[in-house]
Amino acid sequence: MNDKLRDFLYERQSLLNVFIAVFTAMIVGTLVIYFMGYDILESYEALYQGAFKGRFNFGGTLERFVPLLLSGLAFAVASKASIFNIGVEGQLYFGAITAAFFGYIIKGVPSLVHIPVTLLLAAAAGGLWAVIPGFLRAKYNVNEVTTTIMLNYVAIFFVGYIVNHPFKNPNVGVPQTPNVQPTARLPKIMLPSRANIGIFIALALLVFFIWLLNKTTFGYKVRAVGFNPFFTDYVGVKSKLIMVLTMFLSGAIGGVLGGVEVLGIHGYVLDNFSPGYGFDGIMVGLLARNNLKALPFVAFFLAALRSGAINMERFTGVPKEVIGVIEAVIILLAAAEVIVEIKKRKSSDKGGVEVG
Amino acid sequence: MYVEKGVKKLAPIVEMKGIYKEFPNVVALNHVDFSLEKGEIHALIGENGAGKSTLMKILYGIYDQDEGTVKINGEEKNISDAREAMRLGIGMVHQEFMLAETMTVLENIILGFEPNKHKLLDYDKAYSEVMDYSEKYGFEIRPNSKVINISVGEAQRVEILKALYRGAEVLILDEPTAVLTPQETEELFKIIRSLKENGKTIIFISHKLDEVLEIADRITVMRKGNKVETLSQNDATKEKLAYLMVGREVFLDFEIEENEPGDRILEVKNLNVFGRRKLSNLKDVSFEIKEGEILGVAGIDGNGQTELVEALTGLRKVESGEIKIRGEEITNKSPLEIRHHGVSHIPEDRNKTGLCKELTIQENLIANKLPDDPYSSKIGIINFKRVKNFAEELIDKFDIRPPKTDVKMQNLSGGNAQKVIVAREVAEDAGLIIASQPTRGIDIGSIEFIRSVLLDERKAGKAVLLVSADLEEILSLSDRIIVMYEGEIQGTLDIEEANENNLGLMMTGGNPDFKGGVTA
Repeated sequence: MNDKLRDFLYERQSLLNVFIAVFTAMIVGTLVIYFMGYDILESYEALYQGAFKGRFNFGGTLERFVPLLLSGLAFAVASKASIFNIGVEGQLYFGAITAAFFGYIIKGVPSLVHIPVTLLLAAAAGGLWAVIPGFLRAKYNVNEVTTTIMLNYVAIFFVGYIVNHPFKNPNVGVPQTPNVQPTARLPKIMLPSRANIGIFIALALLVFFIWLLNKTTFGYKVRAVGFNPFFTDYVGVKSKLIMVLTMFLSGAIGGVLGGVEVLGIHGYVLDNFSPGYGFDGIMVGLLARNNLKALPFVAFFLAALRSGAINMERFTGVPKEVIGVIEAVIILLAAAEVIVEIKKRKSSDKGGVEVG
Repeated sequence: MYVEKGVKKLAPIVEMKGIYKEFPNVVALNHVDFSLEKGEIHALIGENGAGKSTLMKILYGIYDQDEGTVKINGEEKNISDAREAMRLGIGMVHQEFMLAETMTVLENIILGFEPNKHKLLDYDKAYSEVMDYSEKYGFEIRPNSKVINISVGEAQRVEILKALYRGAEVLILDEPTAVLTPQETEELFKIIRSLKENGKTIIFISHKLDEVLEIADRITVMRKGNKVETLSQNDATKEKLAYLMVGREVFLDFEIEENEPGDRILEVKNLNVFGRRKLSNLKDVSFEIKEGEILGVAGIDGNGQTELVEALTGLRKVESGEIKIRGEEITNKSPLEIRHHGVSHIPEDRNKTGLCKELTIQENLIANKLPDDPYSSKIGIINFKRVKNFAEELIDKFDIRPPKTDVKMQNLSGGNAQKVIVAREVAEDAGLIIASQPTRGIDIGSIEFIRSVLLDERKAGKAVLLVSADLEEILSLSDRIIVMYEGEIQGTLDIEEANENNLGLMMTGGNPDFKGGVTA
């Protein structure tokens, strides 16, 4: 068989598998709705309308799309260098608190300056926070899964301290930071929903990273390090440096995510404000197979499900946790399939290549 | 017993008919028949990728065939896994040993089949059983040594004993001599003959024709997944087997032109390096290479050759000593800096180090050009057109197949993958080429090609450090040979005075009356 065709079919196959996973999960979700005694068609109609119908509903989907896409992108970029960044949650907290600080403290500059500067600083904060596990992994081979998970708690509690004490808004009873300046707020694009220009920032970042990974020598090195660090060391690439830099970029995306949430949605940081955006990225990344071009579709699909679920619950009584069931089944199938594939690859390594 | 022609035969002990097996990328076996008479030594020969190992793995239950039947003693059997194969009396000694290194020889042999007394492990019984076997077949083993401390030859004997202990009547030996010295090979052959005398049946997988002619009763030749022919030892000659294996005549004897070595390129002085194992620590290694010279490094795998290459290329830390390229110190410099000094490197492990199988041919060909970005703009945007032209040039020059720049490396055969590596490293136009096992495990056509490339480089005045476990390769290409044993240079020989015998002796620590022990 033609080699290019085979590579193509291979990728098609993995795309097909994703659809199978999603489809199976939807069937399971349907069965759950059915056995709970609700009308299936009515429920799905409410779900659909809640996701797409009207500016408010569709805006709600777009609003949920942004964190899913950005955290998926953060996870996928690290994965390109074979680093499992479970720490996007912590990185986004650092990005958020940084954005809240500079959004508040910088005064008297136009939005066109204020927003980019604040987001860049948020990116730097998230990136630097991610450099810690990146460095430990590269230099001492400390497993980054463990360090990133633990550093999440450090970040969340640290930000918790900041918003409770030194940077608490004195005029409010709950632990939150003062509102950022109006010049730092991201303009809304679909009132009355909270959707804002964060979506364009997210998409621009996606395009930038697709370009970076595929068209530049840096991206080439990242991918090669991810596939085979022995190879890159041998040809003279500084694999460890590449790992740390990749982790910085991944964390920076997490930082931007935190910044966009603060400047776009809330205007301040509330203690424990993130409902686990950083962890959603793992699901998005896994489901998209860390294929950057597939990320927006996966993120949009999940955003629509989540956004629609609220409407579904309101009008038909189907608890929105059903969507959690569907997501769980998708993750199970996607993860199981990744395992099967690794096994398959191993056995064909033994058989296909070195048959003698 | 093995029965000569004309005498009435029993049912073959193993009969495989119409075996067909497909892997995702390739038809590995195309309706192959194979039959084995009890008590014979049956050699299975063919190039890498001919399907020898796959056929045997089907017999041993590791793979399932897609089509075809396997009969043992005339009865059709479905061998679902290795345990089932062992139950049917089939044992296999793999190319890579499957031993637990931190356990003793005895523990390894009985693992999974331990004799019990009152539900407890009966060590005494195990010991006496194992010693019985080892005396019966004339094995020398030390049952209480840890596997990590024994030699390769001994590990192989342990593997054979392990199979016998599990009741093997048919013993499959997968390229057993690939890792042995000539002397150890002789030992192995004694054992094989004694097994035969005791009624065991041996399948001997190899691609070394001299050995096959020496040991086998019958020989089955395979090529590209097909069985070509089974012939008896009397009808076989080396030329005929080579022709059947490759499908054309082969020339591996190169004419080597006289060549006056030029300036000194590499100088290594009193090099000390910590190795992966104690035996492979480098101790006071010194030598030099001149322009237009191929220096062969012979030795059994694991005697410090890997560490030497890694130290020279910046992949392993040097404890003390000096490495100089054209007089400039490169000790403990980074791989990139060493490359900049004009050293290129064909690594011993093609798949782990030498290439990235998930990337394309062209991405692999320019890999060593990327660290300092000559194929990209100032800010690091790759100039794909230039890269493609460069890759196409090399693909053409080195006859890499398929001749496409954007095919992923994982779709290439071993020989073509190796050519990609050689192409990349030779194109660097470095003064010194360090070639480690450059032709291990690839087809004869590619071996021919790569060896001639190395000779061309020599002719062009490059220095080549050729590390190889294949004595034939060392002897046919080198100008001088150093032999490594336990991390030291056991001796240096000029090509005129070297032969398999004295090299083999030095590789096992012997000291023939040449310039033994004197470093270059």
